[in-house]
Amino acid sequence: MGLLLLCLGIGWWLWKGVAAMEDPEFIIGPAAYYIINTAEETGAANIVAAILFDYRGIDTLGEASVIYTTVCGVAMLFSKSKYKRSSAGLSFIARRGVSFLVPFLLLYGSTIILMGHMTPGGGFQGGAVFATVTILLCIVFGSSFEMSRIKPKTKETIESLGGLFFVFLGGVGLLAGAGFLANTAAGFPRGQVGNFLSAGAIPLLNIAVGMKVGAGLSTIFYSMVRVLELEFGEQMSEVEGNDKN
Amino acid sequence: MIKISYATAIFVFCIGLYTILSKRNLFKTVIGLTIMESGALMLIVTAGYVHGGVPPLIPMEGQAVNPLPHAFTLTAIVIGASDVALALALVIKVHRRYKTVDLDKIRGLKE
Amino acid sequence: MTAFFAFVCVFLALTALVASEAEEVLSAVISLSVFGVLMAMVFVILQAPDVALTQAVINSGLVTSFFLVAYSQTQKPNLLEQKQDIGDGQ
Repeated sequence: MGLLLLCLGIGWWLWKGVAAMEDPEFIIGPAAYYIINTAEETGAANIVAAILFDYRGIDTLGEASVIYTTVCGVAMLFSKSKYKRSSAGLSFIARRGVSFLVPFLLLYGSTIILMGHMTPGGGFQGGAVFATVTILLCIVFGSSFEMSRIKPKTKETIESLGGLFFVFLGGVGLLAGAGFLANTAAGFPRGQVGNFLSAGAIPLLNIAVGMKVGAGLSTIFYSMVRVLELEFGEQMSEVEGNDKN
Repeated sequence: MIKISYATAIFVFCIGLYTILSKRNLFKTVIGLTIMESGALMLIVTAGYVHGGVPPLIPMEGQAVNPLPHAFTLTAIVIGASDVALALALVIKVHRRYKTVDLDKIRGLKE
Repeated sequence: MTAFFAFVCVFLALTALVASEAEEVLSAVISLSVFGVLMAMVFVILQAPDVALTQAVINSGLVTSFFLVAYSQTQKPNLLEQKQDIGDGQ
């Protein structure tokens, strides 16, 4: 009861803070500058993508390294487990249905990544769609199928390549003398706003982040599933041993 | 409309805080963490809303909403997902050690 | 638009309450998935399509599957019985 009153008190305190705010009619601060100058400076039609990968690119690099740290943490927690037994997977109808759906899902994910500088989307969303596809394969076909098609080593390589590609694109700006992660100032072509080939390095950075996020989240899920199946396999062998005794 | 949004964000945040403080199941604690994070993100996005605004995509007709909170929230959601994954991995480790996810029982075993 | 927004907000608060107060962890996880979809709708109404896309993919797809894997990890006896039943049937 005391906890409930405490939470209600904190809520009332926060509400008193925001109730004084009016409906704003215009924007001030750095966001106004971004809205006016994005088309000229970067050539991207999606202002959020321009902020993420151009104006505040180094924040995005830090964010991508958070995912890398999480993969390392999960892998360290489950380091001693080995892969023994696969889950059985679902029925024939589910397998046929999913194998019909998977190409369209892959197309959807690549569209989100490649059109990220013109329409809503980008590397984070498209990478999450790719991770969802691998999770779907893992659930429906069983994890040994997923492991035989996309090896864990391949995922790690893709993730590392994504990170290295991001840093390399930042280093190009450094070599051109325009600063780390500089876009059009470093000589990337700006193009026409709204065209597919525009916005300089932003589509390439989208691809790098998509590789990193998709492979990273997929690896996290796969590590957790592997632990589950290991424990299950151990129990089964214990039961079989008891039967023999 | 902006008042409704602020009120909902604060309410959701308080539900998450109450879940973390009061529940004894570790899964409920992680669920509370997710709810609380969503409430905070909704508050941030609401702070960037402009009355009668349009999405920040060129070409715009009229005043665009503030794109800076969108960029922050976008990265924060992905960080939140990896956060939850790490927390759940720790819960699995706790379950392997103590064979329970109840916080009271874990404390009882320790003494 | 405001009435629809208020309706979505009330529904959002209800799903958050269910996710907090449900006895079964499984019900709470499914309610959390619905909560994520409703949050994506709120972001669309607040004119943030990028954030809505991320929220819809991650919070209702990925986070739910993480929760389900971790939950099935703590339910080993049921899994074992199920597997034995299948083995007997064959």
